[in-house]
Amino acid sequence: MAESLIAEFGDDAALARAIDRVRELGVRELDAHTPYSTELVRDALGAPPSRLSTAVLVGGALGAAAAYGLEWYLVAHLYPLNVGGRPPHFPLGFVPIAFEMGVLFASGTAFVGALFLGRLVRLWAPVFEVPGFEHASRDTFWLTLKLEPGSANAGSVERVSAELAALGALSVRELPGGTA
Amino acid sequence: MTQSAREADSALTDQLVRTVWSGSVYFRIAFAVLGLGSAGFAALMLYTFQRGIGLWGNNIPVAWAFAIVNFVFWIGIGHAGTFISAILYLLEQRWRAAVNRFSEAMTLFAVAQALLFPVLHLGRPWFAYWLIPYPDRMQVWPQVKSPLPWDFAAVFTYGTVSLLFFYLGLLPDLASTRDSAPERWRRRIYGVFALGWRGSEDAWRHYRMAYLLLAGLATPLVLSVHSIVSSDFAVGLTPGWHSTIFPPFFVAGAIFSGFAMVLSLIIPARKAFHLENVITARHVDNCAKLLLVTGLCLEYGYAVEMFVAWYSGDEFELWQFFVTRPTGPNCWAFYVMMFANVLLPQLLWSRRLRTNLKLLWVISLVVNLGMWCERFVIIVMGLEREYLRADEAAFNPTWVDWGLLAGSVCFFLFLFLGFLRWLPVVALSEVKEGRRERERTLAQAEGARG
Repeated sequence: MAESLIAEFGDDAALARAIDRVRELGVRELDAHTPYSTELVRDALGAPPSRLSTAVLVGGALGAAAAYGLEWYLVAHLYPLNVGGRPPHFPLGFVPIAFEMGVLFASGTAFVGALFLGRLVRLWAPVFEVPGFEHASRDTFWLTLKLEPGSANAGSVERVSAELAALGALSVRELPGGTA
Repeated sequence: MTQSAREADSALTDQLVRTVWSGSVYFRIAFAVLGLGSAGFAALMLYTFQRGIGLWGNNIPVAWAFAIVNFVFWIGIGHAGTFISAILYLLEQRWRAAVNRFSEAMTLFAVAQALLFPVLHLGRPWFAYWLIPYPDRMQVWPQVKSPLPWDFAAVFTYGTVSLLFFYLGLLPDLASTRDSAPERWRRRIYGVFALGWRGSEDAWRHYRMAYLLLAGLATPLVLSVHSIVSSDFAVGLTPGWHSTIFPPFFVAGAIFSGFAMVLSLIIPARKAFHLENVITARHVDNCAKLLLVTGLCLEYGYAVEMFVAWYSGDEFELWQFFVTRPTGPNCWAFYVMMFANVLLPQLLWSRRLRTNLKLLWVISLVVNLGMWCERFVIIVMGLEREYLRADEAAFNPTWVDWGLLAGSVCFFLFLFLGFLRWLPVVALSEVKEGRRERERTLAQAEGARG
């Protein structure tokens, strides 16, 4: 069975060094828990940029198109009414609502997407059981990693723990429920 | 170095979250007073529902009066919140982190007030859902070629997006609050609202992208909302309304009034919570400078409006701008507006006056009043004198009108007080991040020198 470790660091630079080191040891599954997002940790983890922007573009475009379609369906198709001589299908007049609905749907997609991709709205996670983890939203930086048995250079739990301690970890523990 | 940075982070968290755990007797008094005012607001709304809007001073031709003045006033106040949180974020103005939470909360509560007034003004508010294109077997649909449904779409979107933006920004700080809760039940409540935020880098990655995208989306939104609100007027033929300057003129006025409200709220809150180390004199000074700048945009709008009225040679426009406004019924509002929005902000050119917080607070309050008067001048005075002498009328507000206005101010402050009491009032994670980056830049500069 894969074993997971969690280590606490006093600042982001120490965490970034630890990430580099355990990568050298061949550990692939890593995540950090930090009180604020910092460039050092981001660069060390090297995760690709979020794909959220594509989803937001699609959400916004669909929202705007649906709103425009509904406007056309209601006042140009179902119930055309001559007000002030404007034609039944009046693109200029349909734009404001289509724009607003585009923004609304794009924003909704961004919000829901961030929660979904960031695996939030889970009120409990194994890391919450770790003593002292309440500092992760406050002043300390945490590293979680999973050691796959039989993978190339991962070595033993003891070896990685010793490395982390040597790199200045304030504490190193096994994480029973796995990472995430 | 590490130890001191960590201690500083910890101390800052304690300072900014402490207010959530320790109420004081002043809070209770303030809640009681504002709660009473809000109850009065609710009572007046019920009275209006029951008896109809004949209780108000509205008449024909002045069919739009306090309700729409209050609506435009509150929506306008909301604009500085989004301006600070979205536009300044995109422009990488780091100082916004100290004040953005305040102004986003202000936006939400102001939009909530704004939404109440058009519904009250419907007369039969139980039909408010007619604004939504619901499947109607009578086939009576909203007329989407008119600015009023645009307005509904814009304000609804604005309220929703502001809420999402506010809540998303709040998530990491709700987690900090959860983690420093003294009792289990409070930890649970904040835990539910923090949605299980655990600061995972994977979550931060998507969070940052979502925040950036929301800022990018809110920026055209903030400009569109008051432009659309101004179309309610500009599309009409009433003298003083029918003008292409209206969209930018309204947006400038909205941001101006919003900054005034930000200052009105921040100066006392900063003092009451001893936030001088987070909201520094520089932050307040920057808000004051923006108040001056947006004020100048607004004054340019006044000048252009008057110039166009004169240059058009249209007798009704001339009558509206040069006779009705300075000498007609309710002309006091015109003079208050000119004093508060044109003359008074000029004091802000002086750094000495700008950094005098008491004076700045008084200026911001008077500017709020002046901006309310501006909407009164545009809406009521436009309608008092249109085209026919026989149609001329004066508008006299009733006690119900004044009561609803005062009630909405109480309700706004009541909601804001709730925010001050139960949520972290400064964007904690952003302030810590900003400080860390500054430290690193300084260290690098020193390294380069050494």
